[in-house]
Amino acid sequence: MLEVKIDKTLPGFNLKVAFSMDQEILSIVGPSGSGKSLTLQCISGLMVPEEGYINVNGRVLFDSSRRINLPPQKRKIGYVFQNYALFPHLSVFDNVAFGISRQNRTEIETRVSYLLEKMRLGDYKERYPRHLSGGQQQRVALARALAPEPAILLLDEPFSALDTQVRGQLERELLTIHEFYKGNIIFVSHNLEEAYRLSSQIAVYEAGRILQFGPKSALINAPASKAVATLTGARNLAEGVIESLDNHQATVLVTDWNERFLISLSSANSYRPKQRVTVGIRPEYVCIIRERSCENMLRATVVEAVDGISTYTYRFKALNGLEKEFHLESEVSKLSAAFIPAGESCCLQLPANRIFIIE
Amino acid sequence: MAELDLIPVWISLKTASISTIFTFFLGLAAARWIAYYRGRGKGLIDGLFTLPLVLPPTVLGFALLLLFGKHGPLGKLLLKMGTTVIFSWWATVIASTVVAFPLMYQTARGAFEQIEPNIESAARTLGASEWATFWRVTVPLAWPGIMAGIILSFARSLGEFGATLMIAGNIPGKTQTIPLAIYFAVAAGNNAKALGWVSVIMVISLVSILLLNYWKRNVHLYMKH
Repeated sequence: MLEVKIDKTLPGFNLKVAFSMDQEILSIVGPSGSGKSLTLQCISGLMVPEEGYINVNGRVLFDSSRRINLPPQKRKIGYVFQNYALFPHLSVFDNVAFGISRQNRTEIETRVSYLLEKMRLGDYKERYPRHLSGGQQQRVALARALAPEPAILLLDEPFSALDTQVRGQLERELLTIHEFYKGNIIFVSHNLEEAYRLSSQIAVYEAGRILQFGPKSALINAPASKAVATLTGARNLAEGVIESLDNHQATVLVTDWNERFLISLSSANSYRPKQRVTVGIRPEYVCIIRERSCENMLRATVVEAVDGISTYTYRFKALNGLEKEFHLESEVSKLSAAFIPAGESCCLQLPANRIFIIE
Repeated sequence: MAELDLIPVWISLKTASISTIFTFFLGLAAARWIAYYRGRGKGLIDGLFTLPLVLPPTVLGFALLLLFGKHGPLGKLLLKMGTTVIFSWWATVIASTVVAFPLMYQTARGAFEQIEPNIESAARTLGASEWATFWRVTVPLAWPGIMAGIILSFARSLGEFGATLMIAGNIPGKTQTIPLAIYFAVAAGNNAKALGWVSVIMVISLVSILLLNYWKRNVHLYMKH
């Protein structure tokens, strides 16, 4: 269990966040300078918030109202720094052993060997950090952070310094750590894809605030605001008015596209008829079809077509009959469709269960 | 050539060694303090610590005389304890320490500021106290710079003349170091005697500089082991 409430002001920046989590992996995602790393620094005690409350498994690490502020030494928090921050003057073994406080030499050796084995670093005990590859250095940093059996593990952009090939493998390794390390993991990233693969919960940061916090699927299927929709890559947003609704679906006149759409609703909602809303859909859910046959259709012209490795990305102009132009994007798997060159017209189908509404 | 009187050599080496030990700890403490100091007046404190490097040694000697003299604050205190340092061997150590201090302070501070702050933060999150972080992480990482500071301080102490003359005087067998012996030998027209000491001090200084270069060249070697 982790409970965090932080209010920290730096020159020209204010971080004000609150969240809690259970034994799971939480990702903090957001642009650089949004306060992600500062959050980790406050949890670990390297930075002190002006106000706040930090509680790990029932142990209060920080409480401004009761003037409790444990120093980083006493917090028992594993921290993997962005550049790993290994001790260059110590061997791999001594790096990992650094934080183990047990007196008995054989106990320390057992613990270090266990971790190095887990991290597939058994053959590198005597090496020095500068002789290791980026991926190996990261695994040493992980082993070192886990060695004192921390209550929580903080990872600050652990993959940002690595090649794409090494990344995938290390991502899988991070997931295996969660199998034997039964504690909270907070993982900071500016890459949403990576965060989605690795974690169950995601917090989206912007300018020192949490825009949305919750299960990762909710973030993608029901972004809470336009900002979150944009940050998570749901680039097709348009303005509209709810015309009618029942418990399961709403009919929305999307004024920007000049077309009516059916949108599936979750049972708990507080929308009203005539309410002005923003609707949106992720580019990968926009289907391109040849004939005009069913509901939720929009006629559009391809204005830009990009041939990617596994997908075609299109930019459409909605044929809405209005003076103002509105664009949509679609990403289609190459397996399912042939390439459509720019200038051609086609029909776009927006599935009712894929469109989301933002109030 | 007249037979070389080795007593000044011995006094010089003893003074330089003892003052280097003092300089080491004082310089390290001051450097640690200023390198991590985030309060006001950092530039001013740094300036005060560096002042002995740029002031004429006679000015320092005069200041020390005011401080440690019979009517000076520290001198009075020592007098109450039944002792005095002016014109004693300890005065040579004090003069050398003050003069060499900025060299140790500046090189150590530079070395501390070169250290990636996250490495020290990592030590703290791993449970190392501030003291343990300093001795197990900061000092080893700054060691090449600290070593250069030690050698520079030693060489500077060895060559100290002005401040020493003012507060320790020129008492043969007690406070007469090589630089003083050379000056008074030349003043007395005994060039042959002076030449002997000149060659001794040249050898020691040259060895110091060679050691310094050796250390600088082996910074990476040290890190690699």
